[in-house]
Amino acid sequence: MLSIDNLSAGYSAIPVLKDVSIKVEAGQFVAIVGPNGAGKTTLFKTISGIVRPSAGAITFEGADLLSIQPSRRAHLGIAHVPEGRQVFASLTVMENLEVGATTEAGQRDWKRNIERIFEWLPVLAERREQLAGTLSGGQQQMLSIGRGLASSPKLLMLDEPSMGLAPAIADFIFDRLIEIRRQSGLTILLVEQRVAEALESADHGYVLEAGRVVLEGNNQTLRADDRVRRAYLGM
Amino acid sequence: MTQFLEGFLQALVAGLLIGAIYGLMCVGLGLIFGVMRVINFAHGDFMMLGMYAAFYCFTALGVQTAFGNVIGPFVAILLAGPILAVFGYAVHRTLISRVSGTRTSLLEGEGHYAQLVLTLGIALILQNGGLIVFGSVLASIRTPLSSTAWELGPFFDVSVFVNKARGIDAVVSLMTMTLLALLITRSRLGKSLRAAADNPVAATYMGVDVDRAHRIAFALGTGVTAIAGGLLATNYPFQPFVGLEYVIVMYAGVVLGGMGSIIGAFWGGMTIGLVQQMSTIVLPTQLQNAAIFVVFLLIIFFRPQGFFGRLVERT
Amino acid sequence: MMPSFRSLAPVLVFAILYAAVSLSVTNSYYQLVMTLVLVWAVFGLSWNILSGYTGLISFGHAAFFGIGAYTTALGQIYFDLSPWLLIPIAAMLGGLAGLLVGFPTFRLQGHYFALAMLAYPLAILYVVEWLGFQEVTLPIKRDNPFAYMQFSDGRIYTMLALAMLIGTILLTQWVERSRFGMALLAIKQNEAAAEAAGINTLVWKLRAITLSGAIAGAIGGFYAIVLLVVTPQSVFGMLVSAQALTVAMFGGVGTVWGPVIGAVILIPLAETLNAEAGTRFPGIQGVIFGLAIISVILIAPEGLFWKVRDFLRKRRSTSQPEPEKTTPAGVAHPMAAIAPATAGAPARVSPPEDIILEVRGLSRSFGGLKAVQDVSLQLRKNAILGIIGPNGAGKTTLFNLLNGFLLPDAGEVLIDGHNMVGRKPHELCEAGIGRTFQIMRPFLRMSISDNVVVGAYVRAKTDLEARKLAEGAIARVGLSSIAHRMAGELTTKELRLMELARALASQPRILLLDETLAGLGHGEADEVVGVIQRLAKEGVTIAIIEHTMQSMVRLVDSFVVLDHGAVLMEGEPEAVTRDMRVIEAYLGKKWAAHAQH
Repeated sequence: MLSIDNLSAGYSAIPVLKDVSIKVEAGQFVAIVGPNGAGKTTLFKTISGIVRPSAGAITFEGADLLSIQPSRRAHLGIAHVPEGRQVFASLTVMENLEVGATTEAGQRDWKRNIERIFEWLPVLAERREQLAGTLSGGQQQMLSIGRGLASSPKLLMLDEPSMGLAPAIADFIFDRLIEIRRQSGLTILLVEQRVAEALESADHGYVLEAGRVVLEGNNQTLRADDRVRRAYLGM
Repeated sequence: MTQFLEGFLQALVAGLLIGAIYGLMCVGLGLIFGVMRVINFAHGDFMMLGMYAAFYCFTALGVQTAFGNVIGPFVAILLAGPILAVFGYAVHRTLISRVSGTRTSLLEGEGHYAQLVLTLGIALILQNGGLIVFGSVLASIRTPLSSTAWELGPFFDVSVFVNKARGIDAVVSLMTMTLLALLITRSRLGKSLRAAADNPVAATYMGVDVDRAHRIAFALGTGVTAIAGGLLATNYPFQPFVGLEYVIVMYAGVVLGGMGSIIGAFWGGMTIGLVQQMSTIVLPTQLQNAAIFVVFLLIIFFRPQGFFGRLVERT
Repeated sequence: MMPSFRSLAPVLVFAILYAAVSLSVTNSYYQLVMTLVLVWAVFGLSWNILSGYTGLISFGHAAFFGIGAYTTALGQIYFDLSPWLLIPIAAMLGGLAGLLVGFPTFRLQGHYFALAMLAYPLAILYVVEWLGFQEVTLPIKRDNPFAYMQFSDGRIYTMLALAMLIGTILLTQWVERSRFGMALLAIKQNEAAAEAAGINTLVWKLRAITLSGAIAGAIGGFYAIVLLVVTPQSVFGMLVSAQALTVAMFGGVGTVWGPVIGAVILIPLAETLNAEAGTRFPGIQGVIFGLAIISVILIAPEGLFWKVRDFLRKRRSTSQPEPEKTTPAGVAHPMAAIAPATAGAPARVSPPEDIILEVRGLSRSFGGLKAVQDVSLQLRKNAILGIIGPNGAGKTTLFNLLNGFLLPDAGEVLIDGHNMVGRKPHELCEAGIGRTFQIMRPFLRMSISDNVVVGAYVRAKTDLEARKLAEGAIARVGLSSIAHRMAGELTTKELRLMELARALASQPRILLLDETLAGLGHGEADEVVGVIQRLAKEGVTIAIIEHTMQSMVRLVDSFVVLDHGAVLMEGEPEAVTRDMRVIEAYLGKKWAAHAQH
């Protein structure tokens, strides 16, 4: 479904991603792990169009993504749940979800989607009139996920959903995510720092370090590899 | 004593009435600054164009003949809104978009400087171009309503007079404000605008075209302020440089209300109107505007985030 | 520091040419135009000194201009004083006004500053109108015209204005070259970095606005004498401020010749159009200026001067062969002499003496978020300490606390036993703390030497001494062979080293390096690591934040690991990278748990 080929990208003079190639097949759960500064968030920003790459190509369902305007990419079926949640703090929970449904598919499937979102993430239903900025970190993360789901996506991209959350809440969110996937069969691309959690449910994993893919494989192969630890800690 | 009370109440009422119009005026700027974070020096001059648009609709384009002197002005004023909205949209498309929006959001402070200077240039052209096209003769939109008033009272020997034209102006202003508020809070477009204002990057992720949102916000803001200008024109004569007089009023109102809060801008404008009118109790009339400046500077120094700001701070 | 002949020559040539042209003009209106061109050029130069060099855009310079004009006019009317005396007084009042305006207004950020500056002249305008000075006319003095600067021949005014212009140009040139100008440019580039490099930004900004106000006041006074009529709008009005701005921006911001070029082009154009078409199109002047501003900001935001210069530079460089940017093996580069760090390098012995920096119980919260919690650590002399931790651990916040950019809620930062909490960043720089930043903002159009010398001002008493210190710093990082090259042409590695040199120019005892290796490839990172190691051997104590662990583990003596703002552990690289708690912080609980089996 999503094919990233030899992508290089960065900010002004500073290169961050160097020649990265990643593939996500329809229905897969792919995880990208790696230390900070490895380029994980930059990768997502390039897919969403906020960052322009210096080299390489991104193809989504056969279409050349780079030639498509950033605000149109969501309408193709790519939902981006950003790092740090990034909810619309001055809008209510319900309004956040409504904005999430800006895509054509989201508008079409609104009734069905909102029911399922409330079923999977009941706290959103309970607090639907509350201002998003007053929610707790975990609640905001769930809202961010719900907002992504409201667009009726084909691909759900999550950028470090556990960041800044207490481990118990992060675990809870992960469980919800797995449940959502089980019920909807959504294709998921996940970026995470917590390696084991990410790899556990993933079909395939990539380890990104200093802008390059240094390892890839599935849960079994990566789990046993000390190179993963070394990618994070240097030795 | 009763004279003082009467004077006080009269000033208060005058302040509320003009405050309602100032509020609408500030909301237009607040919309632009709130959604786009763009400083628009030319906003007073867009208002000036709105005044002239209403004037010409009324006198030259037949609105006066069609609707008469009582309703006519208000029809003309409400027509001026969309006219200026289109003009604002065009100005944004051709000029402002080059120094704002997603193109410059990565440039940090750089974008602001260019916006300040660009809009200053636009202001100069509009003011002086206006002088060439419209001449320097004072114009105004005459309505017989401005020479009659309603009397409230007398209560205990105290009466307050409400000028009919100003009274209706305030009503029209509030109605426009309400419509705008409904648009912003209830409609899908309004939510997209607020999302784009709140977090443009996340809004783009959701599929909101932030640049388009900016264009619409700019057009709306211009149109709304144009209507406010037209309402002012029924009371005060104007000329092409009138925008300059109100630029500080507008910014004082927006800053007082908290930059980024559209509703706050309304209350800020209202406050400025009250300050202006009530300062005449202690100051000579010529220093009314100086009083506004002083208030403006005080706010900038001691409480730049304003008073009526949003409940939740933007991340 | 006397300007060299090379820089004086264009000024003299311009002056002679202009004098020749103006002397040949006989029409009194055009003589006035010739004078006005110079008046606006000087006004533009005064604007430039504040806004062009510091980047703080003033929309209210008319305040100083108007104060000067009214001082001169009223001084002559009420006190019968001569303009020869009044113009210097106007300058003093203008300067004083600048100081009074600057002190509170510089606290404001970005657009608030611009709005406040806009408000001042307009407020003064209302007050002046209220005081009744709608139109002030200077009396004609037939008996002693020279004493009252009243000449029948307009060309004499032009000569006087020319003298004022030359004086202002020389003054500006002197400012440009001295540490005054360099400090202002540094503030424009990156105020935070300038502070950290030891520049007292507030003092320099105040000096700039005072000088700017003084010049504007003087030329405002002269303007009053030339026109003999002063109205509030003509000297305090928005068009007046706009003209200063436009003339400087059109011609070139931040350069001596910019306002001159702008004035020479725009003023005759506007005045001629006004004269020819003014009756049919009143206000044509304003339209011209508006168009000029818009075209400048869209096409050449920095002005004609820079656009032309860059264009000429580009043409010159394409006709010559490009010098090698990267360092090929054959070139004798000082870098080659430094052996890059290898895994087999012996651990440096650092005796447990001389704690140069001690942090005790440092805490700082933002709202509900505890960014730094009760952090204590010690920096040993000559040691290299690495500060690591997962995202959001509080590393940069910690540096900002050490550097004076943030005030801690609790705790102490002790240098040689003295608590430095509460001191401003430039004071800390003076005390010996140097810092580099994650996002670099070099002066792209200036050489490495000029970029680095800014850091030396805090240490050096004279500009010459500063240059020497800068040279030394550049040598220490190995960039001596390319010290003259423009920053805009450097590679990322060279930029990082330049940044390092700027921090070194202040002769710090402690260096705080914030992600100095970001964006570098493996080989480049090794070279920079080598430089850092050499610095430590030379006696600089270093604390470094980095994400690229590969390079860090070979560089540092020990690590401090932060997680969620608190110190998780400290120790030597080997121990830290295998510690369970650290693994858990980075890779997650489950991984750590699994790895234990």
